[in-house]
Amino acid sequence: MKARLIFAASLLALAGAPAAAQEVFPNHSITMIVPFPPGGVADITGRPTAAAMEKVLKQPVAVVNRPGAGGAVGNAAVANAKPDGYTILMALSSISVIPAADELFNRKPAYSLDQFAPIALISADPTILVVHPSLPVKSLKELVALAKSKPGQMSYSSSGVYGALHMPMEMFLHATKLKMRHVPTTGGGPAITAVLGGHVEMTAGGPAAISGHVKAGKLRPIVSWGAQRHPAYPEVPTFKELGYKDVEYYIWAGMFAPRATPEPVMKVLRDAARKAAEDPDFRSAMAKVNSPVQYMDAPEFQKYWEADAKRLAALVKIVGKVETK
Amino acid sequence: MLETFNNLLLGFSVALSPSVLVYAFVGCIIGTLVGMMPGLGPLAGISLLLPATFGLNPIIAIVLLSGVYYGAMYGGSTTSILMRIPGEAASVMTCVDGYAMTQNGRAGPALAIAAIGSFIAGTAGVVGLMLLAPTLAEFALRFGPPEYTALLMMGLFILAYMSGGSMLKTLAMAGLGLMLGMIGIDAMSGYTRFSFDLVELGDGVGIVPVAVGLFGISEILLTAGQDAAPKVQNPKLHDLIPSREEFRLSVGPIARGSLLGFMIGIIPGSAHIISSFVSYGIERRMSKHPERFGKGAIEGVAGPESANNAAASGAFVPMMALGIPTSPVTAVMIAAIMVHGISPGPLLISQQPELFWGFVASMYVGNVVLLVLNLPMVGLFVNLLRIPYAYLYPCILAFCILGTYSVSNSMIDVWIMLIMGGIGYVLRKFDYDLAPVALGLVLSPMLELSLRQSLAMSAGDYGIFLERPIATTMLGLGVLLFLLSIKPLIFKSKDWRSKVGLDEVEG
Repeated sequence: MKARLIFAASLLALAGAPAAAQEVFPNHSITMIVPFPPGGVADITGRPTAAAMEKVLKQPVAVVNRPGAGGAVGNAAVANAKPDGYTILMALSSISVIPAADELFNRKPAYSLDQFAPIALISADPTILVVHPSLPVKSLKELVALAKSKPGQMSYSSSGVYGALHMPMEMFLHATKLKMRHVPTTGGGPAITAVLGGHVEMTAGGPAAISGHVKAGKLRPIVSWGAQRHPAYPEVPTFKELGYKDVEYYIWAGMFAPRATPEPVMKVLRDAARKAAEDPDFRSAMAKVNSPVQYMDAPEFQKYWEADAKRLAALVKIVGKVETK
Repeated sequence: MLETFNNLLLGFSVALSPSVLVYAFVGCIIGTLVGMMPGLGPLAGISLLLPATFGLNPIIAIVLLSGVYYGAMYGGSTTSILMRIPGEAASVMTCVDGYAMTQNGRAGPALAIAAIGSFIAGTAGVVGLMLLAPTLAEFALRFGPPEYTALLMMGLFILAYMSGGSMLKTLAMAGLGLMLGMIGIDAMSGYTRFSFDLVELGDGVGIVPVAVGLFGISEILLTAGQDAAPKVQNPKLHDLIPSREEFRLSVGPIARGSLLGFMIGIIPGSAHIISSFVSYGIERRMSKHPERFGKGAIEGVAGPESANNAAASGAFVPMMALGIPTSPVTAVMIAAIMVHGISPGPLLISQQPELFWGFVASMYVGNVVLLVLNLPMVGLFVNLLRIPYAYLYPCILAFCILGTYSVSNSMIDVWIMLIMGGIGYVLRKFDYDLAPVALGLVLSPMLELSLRQSLAMSAGDYGIFLERPIATTMLGLGVLLFLLSIKPLIFKSKDWRSKVGLDEVEG
């Protein structure tokens, strides 16, 4: 059935090809769906990207926020949109976690990952583990030792269960075989507030969100999930250099189109994304929000995304078993 | 003190510069319009405007957005009073007595008192923000999940006081609201509850579509269902100004509402909706004539309207002093300054004095602008009532649908609003009071989350509520309130409630 559908679709695509070739893409405005509310990472990344792509495509790129269910609503909207290139998605790494969680809970999946074709990776920020300054630890080693001495008594906050700040903490706990209390909140901001107030001991924070508090000495950075040290926190070591080879995590933002979008259209979008990523205005806008551009073209991004999705899906399974035990 | 004065001078020098002043004005006007649109609240307003601020400088951006926020809090009362449609969620309580006043021909005074109360509360809030920000912010941080749970429990106990007529009916409605609040993804486990496989229900049912449906749409249906067409009002000029008696009755509620709203606004979490409910409950409880509530008591407008405006300025305390968002609105505003490379945090006030003091001064300016803008408009707004219902109501219905859709570009929200309109119509036919539904819906997701967060912190030990002084005190107060409210049930003594009789919601 599926094969036949694909066959039929490709026939249609072939039939439509000459007509499409005559029409220049894009000949009207493009909608970029941001599956989160305004002001979040996806929105702050999406709007300058849209503005930079407008300059290249010579057509408006309108950002539309479709928040809901941790991004599932907006992601599903693009997955099921007409694959003509006029609807694209600015997704965060959580795009890979949602189907895995749906599977874990035997839910009808909101969408599947093979409904998307990657356009480009725009940014990737490692999370950084921060603790309340009253906690008597200055290094990862001390933190692990302290947590080992009080198993299941220390606590951390996250942006929500299976959310962008929960996954890295689980990765860390799994690698160190530690147990801690998990206090989910409703977003990255409240998660940091819980640490600032001393209601939990630590959280994984985005580099931009924590920077003001770190400078003021209200949060102490311990270790980063990046492959290299973060340029804004050169003194903070990474899990990798401390010997935890598999502990690597980024909150990334990337652009996707519906899977069946025709190749010529995809090429236009990819070129536009590449030129946008080189745009100095765009680069300075991203630098201002402490989220430097980490451009990757579709083939490379596809590989990166697959590896990331696999790692996260495996992690969801492990966490799920722990929680439902 | 002298330092504060110098800083304030610096602030006014920023706020009164022509470009900033123009944007403050524009923000207030946009905000008032946004607040008046049913369904469109401050969050939707500043979210829609956020991208436009990226090209401005950070001070102008924050002044513009806070103007919108403020303006929306002012404007929200207008449609509540005139048409029983909450312009935004915090105006739900204003619908009850505000609309009753309109039906009594006192729409003008209700609007005027709402504007004056908002002005006083807003100004008091800015004074509080200016003088107390750093001290209070540290205190606000001590509100963790257990304290929040205790606060929300107190909110629930106040429900018992709010009951206008039958206690049973009130509790049934509160139960309905609490259950509506259970819909969506469970924040602790990730399981989806009562979502009928609709992805859009994953985040639960929003307060905006429910409030607009329950209050607004049901009112339209009820009016349409009357045998005789309701008389179109023809307000006269002397009916626009509040009487001396109305002023006298409003002084206490405005003062109490301002203080209460500011305190609740500081606490992280989106509690400022609760401030208007709590204020209403308190005013009703303190009134010598509680039976007037629900039938056009001016205190029922003055208190909640002041409380929600004071809460709006209270919410800026942790945002400015600590750089933490206390509500979705302040989260968007933090994003607006982050885009300009300013990282929010405890050093914001000392590193960006022009930003903070300019912002404070522009809030003084904004409040004056809003009062000047809103008081003369009272006459204009009241004249809307002259429009025959056959033209007015279809337009309102269209605006309700438009406003609700635009909050998150979701058709599901529009359906929820329409269905709630039908449910609200039926319930009002059976004399049920609808405010507890709205309060239940607001409280239950927050209460559930904070209760379970508390228990996650203590690994399931309820003792956590007794180890923390703030939480323990508030829970103690709540229990006391609860005992007081069940006293008449046990002792059968004459309660004020017996004087009230069955609540007549219909007009």
